[in-house]
Amino acid sequence: MHVPRSNQPLAFPGARPIWATCLAFLIASCGGGGGSAPGDEELPPGEDVPASDADAARFLTRATFGATRETIDRLRYIGYTQWFEQEFKAKPSLTRPALKEMSSQGITVNQQHRLDLWWKHAVVGQDQLRQRLAFALSEILVISDVQDNIVNDIGEVAEYYDTLVRGALGNYRDLLEDVSLAPAMGEYLSMLGNQKANPGLNLRPDENYAREVLQLFSLGLVELEADGSVKLDGFGEPIPTYDQAVVEGLAANFTGWSWADMGDFSGYDPSPKPMENYLAYHDQLAKLILSNVVLPGGQTGEDDLAQALDVIANHANVGPFLGKQMIQRLVTSNPSPAYVARVSASWNDNGSGVRGDLFAVAKAILMDPEARTGHLADAENFGKLKEPLLRVTNLWRALEANSASGKYRYWAAEEILGQAPLRAPSVFNFFSPFFSPPGALGAAGMVAPEMQITTHARITTTTNDMLYRVWWYWQGNPNLGPNDVAIDPSSLLPLASNPQALIDEMDILFAAGQMSAQSKQIIVDYVSAIPLSGAGNLYRTLDALYLVLSSPQSAVQR
Amino acid sequence: MNEVSIHPSRRAVLGKGLALGAAGLFANLTHLQRRALAAATLGGGNYKALVCVYLYGGNDGFNVVVPTDPVGYSVYAASRLGLAVPQNSLLPILPANPQGGTWGLHPGLAALQSHFASGKLAVVGNVGPLVAPATKAQILSNSVPLPYQLFSHYDQTYQWMTSVSNDSAATGWCGRIAENLAALNGASPVPMNISLEGTQRLQVGPNSAPYNLDSSGPIAFEGFDDEGGPARKAAFEALLAASSTNKFQQAYAGQQVEAMQIEGLLTGVLAGAPPITTVFPSSYLGKQLAMVAKMISVQAAVGHQRQIFLVGKGGFDTHDGQNQKQGNLFGDVAQCMAAFHSAMEEIGYGPQVTAFTASDFGRTLSSNGKGSDHGWGSHHLVLGGAVQGGDFYGTMPNLALDGPQDIGGGRIIPTTSVDQFAATLGRWFGVSAGDLLQIFPNLSNFQATDLGFLT
Repeated sequence: MHVPRSNQPLAFPGARPIWATCLAFLIASCGGGGGSAPGDEELPPGEDVPASDADAARFLTRATFGATRETIDRLRYIGYTQWFEQEFKAKPSLTRPALKEMSSQGITVNQQHRLDLWWKHAVVGQDQLRQRLAFALSEILVISDVQDNIVNDIGEVAEYYDTLVRGALGNYRDLLEDVSLAPAMGEYLSMLGNQKANPGLNLRPDENYAREVLQLFSLGLVELEADGSVKLDGFGEPIPTYDQAVVEGLAANFTGWSWADMGDFSGYDPSPKPMENYLAYHDQLAKLILSNVVLPGGQTGEDDLAQALDVIANHANVGPFLGKQMIQRLVTSNPSPAYVARVSASWNDNGSGVRGDLFAVAKAILMDPEARTGHLADAENFGKLKEPLLRVTNLWRALEANSASGKYRYWAAEEILGQAPLRAPSVFNFFSPFFSPPGALGAAGMVAPEMQITTHARITTTTNDMLYRVWWYWQGNPNLGPNDVAIDPSSLLPLASNPQALIDEMDILFAAGQMSAQSKQIIVDYVSAIPLSGAGNLYRTLDALYLVLSSPQSAVQR
Repeated sequence: MNEVSIHPSRRAVLGKGLALGAAGLFANLTHLQRRALAAATLGGGNYKALVCVYLYGGNDGFNVVVPTDPVGYSVYAASRLGLAVPQNSLLPILPANPQGGTWGLHPGLAALQSHFASGKLAVVGNVGPLVAPATKAQILSNSVPLPYQLFSHYDQTYQWMTSVSNDSAATGWCGRIAENLAALNGASPVPMNISLEGTQRLQVGPNSAPYNLDSSGPIAFEGFDDEGGPARKAAFEALLAASSTNKFQQAYAGQQVEAMQIEGLLTGVLAGAPPITTVFPSSYLGKQLAMVAKMISVQAAVGHQRQIFLVGKGGFDTHDGQNQKQGNLFGDVAQCMAAFHSAMEEIGYGPQVTAFTASDFGRTLSSNGKGSDHGWGSHHLVLGGAVQGGDFYGTMPNLALDGPQDIGGGRIIPTTSVDQFAATLGRWFGVSAGDLLQIFPNLSNFQATDLGFLT
């Protein structure tokens, strides 16, 4: 399986590239559950190929759930442009249809099945860019089935994630509407069941969604320049993007919504269909919304919502506010204002006059000069801590992990890694984009969002998990259970007799070639002392894997 | 407060703590000698702890303590409508200074009713973030500085945690207090701030961050005990020590090193912790507070004369289903805090440990039909042997909608600032009056810098 590395760009003139063989094999063997393959066997060599394995791995660390030897070689063959085109075409891997299929087979579907599918799509899904962006969006447009009122609504929650997957390469304005009308969001932030004011009873509309859609899902609290810096008024003070009157106006706007097809606003039917407006419960008075816009009275709930979302999505803050957070999820915690400004510009106009084109934004983020050379230009400050979930997916992808049952099961990720898909403790996600830890980072005024979940407890459980994932969960361990997802180290074993080559390959796969010579030498020396006799190849490989994966140079991407 | 008798079980742990450092050396000392030595070298009776019970989401404090006199209750009920706690279900309490009314606790707080009567529990009325005292007229005429971004979870949480309601970049007040009193903990490698709730702003100081502890205790790094363990550990540690100019790598390596170092100390020390017979609720918060109790019981062996703990509970953002949720929310908080206080009395730390609640904001008195929305001022609880309990501190507000303290929808303007609340705790904890004014830069805007709820 192992492809010899080369510092020369790989080309396969007239030949079927080896990764295409692997893809064909995957499609045949995984029953299509991972989505359609890009089907790019006949693509010509690309003109904009990465210059090195490290460059390719760096890109794939950000744009996918982790670099693999095959995807590195493939990217170096087809180049970035064709890579993006293929990703755009890849069929979305969806969760809810797969859960429905399980239900039809008599399986009682629970949260764990939803999570199994998240891992499966992350590890073997062929729509990697789409899935990676959906995951990033799930940490901005947050719902969580930790919350008791959706804890059992598996269909609603799965449909919500599918909404993000479908919308990840689409338009933000459409996604914002789909998210707003998703019953999982309706329940999570209590817009579902929100009804017009009743002055006689002293009841007023629920402000929950109105506030958070502005604060978290679109604008943020203060007006921003296009480069993400805070705009100041004549007194040097930040300018709030909205006030309580706007929250109350939007709260009135977002009234009358409940589960679809019930005929009765007060009914209970946790259906995953988009919510329906029940006009009798919708506030039809004129209302102030954002940006001094007053919507006229007498409108339907659908029209009121659509017009309000138009105003929100067109606010100048959206590009810098969300664009910067997407950079932080994918590339670096502290992008320069110029980088944010370039991404904002792409948000505001994809080059064809379209605003909010998330595919164009993703390309702008991933192909930006700062993304590609920041590690050289500003080695001290560039980069970010990897999210712990992505460290596990990287391992599983690179070493083709699978289980006997075909499930991709990882139990209780939030207790080990400090995060799990759609399981944040609150709408404020697992960590804040503004978290600035004390020490050198804080002193430099830098943020490190993922450092907030890198607590003493979680750094320990995560490090220990790297040990188990490697030393217990490997193909060939006779003690594996049917659902145990185990790595296949066979592609690395032939390198074990040459520790330097072994560590060089791991450095590419798990640190995008950013390990220092000093760190690599520490592992080379350690591994070299393990005798090659018996299962020495395996021991060397697994021990080296553990040390690479748990090292600070693999925990940080740059 | 100078002479604190040491409970037998605590004496045992002090002995064990010492034995860790100098096994057998003190074996022949009398109990009295050992006690004196412990007090002199490890802090002993001078020890104090603060325990913040953070109620995530914004607790509805106006349903925690409710007026029961006819006029007070009718005003309350008219504002709250469907959110009102039924009058006949309220648990009577008799504050020393009842502020012209009669009062009751939400029935969910039954476990704390007796603590109010016995003087261990105080209520601090209508606390919230303020920059300076603010009246409705001043706010409406824009003539008083206000906290930034009122009614936002994120910001009001920060303001509770920093107490500097006009500086969004401020550090946490428990972090600043810990740095001010750092000398009391000598060279202990364990930070004064210990969190069971991850790293929150409250405990992040200019140069310090909390130690993060799970309620199950510190966790050991694995893979270092088998035959090849020592060599693997040496390589692992060499990788942490390897030079890197990247600040993220440095931060990650530093956190690994600190986690290993502190776990190594704490696991050994906690193994010698005295048994605590008090039964804690099995809830998330109950488990956290049980671990806090255990950590307090080994403070001397850890080398701590001061500790600040953060525990928490979510679910208080009751936009929806408030009436169904509130009984369970309050019940868990009350039972856990009561158990914690019992445990402190059991191990002889009652007067040395003060627990208090904090939360993003209070909630609207008015209803959205299902629950309440984000408000401002709220009542808070302080529990411990040093608390001058059985009374209200601060001023119980007028609860009328559109009344003199309602800024809209029943968002009640606080009459006591977080600065005053926190500074009262800080003074008891040992911060000097002069330093309090540094740690709480807005404190001097308020008349009372000590609310008096602690001895």
